Amino acid sequence: MKALQNFLRKNILSIISLVVFLIAWQIITVYEIVPRRMLVPPTEVVELFFDKLNNPDPDGATLLAHFKTSITLALSGFGLAMIIGVPLGLLMGWYQRFDNLVRPIFEVMRPIPPIAWIPLAILWFGIGLGAKSFIIWLSAFVPCVINSYTGIKLTDPVLVRVARIFGATDREIFFKIGIPSAVPMVFTGLRLSLNSAWMTLVAAELLAATEGLGYMIQMGRRLLRPDIIVLGMLTIGLVGAILAGVLGKIEQRITMGRRM
Amino acid sequence: MIAIKRSNQFYNFVSIAGVLLLWQLVVSAGLFGKLVPSPVAVFKEFIDMLQNPIGGRSLFMHLWFSIKRVLTAFITAVVTGVPLGLFMGWNKKVDAIVKPVFELLKPIPPIAWIPLAILWFGIGETPKVFICFVGSFVPCVVNSYTGMRYVDPLLIDMTKTFGATRRQQFIDVGLPASLTAVFAGLQNALSLGWMCVLAAELVGAREGVGYIITLGMDTANPAMIIVGMLIIGAVGAAIAVIVRRIERIVCPWKRGITS
Repeated sequence: MKALQNFLRKNILSIISLVVFLIAWQIITVYEIVPRRMLVPPTEVVELFFDKLNNPDPDGATLLAHFKTSITLALSGFGLAMIIGVPLGLLMGWYQRFDNLVRPIFEVMRPIPPIAWIPLAILWFGIGLGAKSFIIWLSAFVPCVINSYTGIKLTDPVLVRVARIFGATDREIFFKIGIPSAVPMVFTGLRLSLNSAWMTLVAAELLAATEGLGYMIQMGRRLLRPDIIVLGMLTIGLVGAILAGVLGKIEQRITMGRRM
Repeated sequence: MIAIKRSNQFYNFVSIAGVLLLWQLVVSAGLFGKLVPSPVAVFKEFIDMLQNPIGGRSLFMHLWFSIKRVLTAFITAVVTGVPLGLFMGWNKKVDAIVKPVFELLKPIPPIAWIPLAILWFGIGETPKVFICFVGSFVPCVVNSYTGMRYVDPLLIDMTKTFGATRRQQFIDVGLPASLTAVFAGLQNALSLGWMCVLAAELVGAREGVGYIITLGMDTANPAMIIVGMLIIGAVGAAIAVIVRRIERIVCPWKRGITS
């Protein structure tokens, strides 16, 4: 009780602000200051949320089904990008020769936003799972590589020299000094790449999908149902925030006691 | 030192040339059919696109359309977002009022606003500019906010001791001290804006670089898509370079750190 009171006192302005925001939204929509075909009251969005939990109409799938499609796609693309991108970045940063060979190509590809690959991917793989997986993998891959690369490049040379003096092999230095000192940067990269994967997923689903959260908001537009769009957007935002939060927790666990 | 540099250039050359050669060979061998054009074909397409209009407009007009959209949105976002972020960082009350709503909307990717933007503003220029605005606005606010929050309290206390007014503290200490963070935000904002304009144009446009690659897809012309992608990448890279240049002029004290 005391804790609750404390919380209320500390956050009173924030709570008022949120409440005012929701009430303002409710008022401008209920009294149709903003027409219903553009925005619906928050209460109807909540109603729709409970309805969509087990009602596939009118966009073809329940909210959970959309969610499952999207999350599977995003996580598998992200996982694959991590498995390939992080080692590649680490190797690029560690072995000068490898770096010299791979980097120029990488530098040419890097400034092209993953979204720009969508048309090519659709042309190559059709509008099925292949195109989307490719785009999402690509969007997650680039930040993985860049950050692992920077991370291992920033390894303190003194540590490397100390290890060498004590007779460590190159292999040992790479695994016991290079990699651990790159971990914080690698995690920054993973966070960026998860974020990027989630955003690109929405773009890919807007353009070519038959299910998924991006498809859901696109259908909302076609059916002129702003409530579906808003529900979809909030779900997308919430899932994105949860994913980022989970990754942050894992990062804290692993980098515990290390200074950033 | 020079020897190292030369050998680097050599590697760069070998790497790019190697990839181009491999690409050409693989395509000539017909491994992918028509799906992957050879580098020579891509180059020819580029020359062709320079000379002939694409979908009724020249290549440069398309570029100009996209850049105009991004710049309009970017300037609006800077003018509104940076002051908002700075005040949120400076004043706890402003922070407490704005932050919850901002935090609620922040995790929604700008691209997810596209359907709503089309529903609200139709299919003209406005929805595209709006999407870019949403994309640029968030990094503007976040970075200005963080920059202001991380101003060394010692500096503020010092000016306070010397009798500076609240206003002077804000303008003479807070503002310059957070400038580097603001600039990092502007950089992010522009590159995100560039990405958003692309997404918006992919979903529905009759002009712009996004339209070029969509047209390439609709006419099954991969060479056109690749030229479009390379142009998009080049503009993105140019944007980053230009912002960095401006940053060096506006905050010269950062020069030592970045280089």
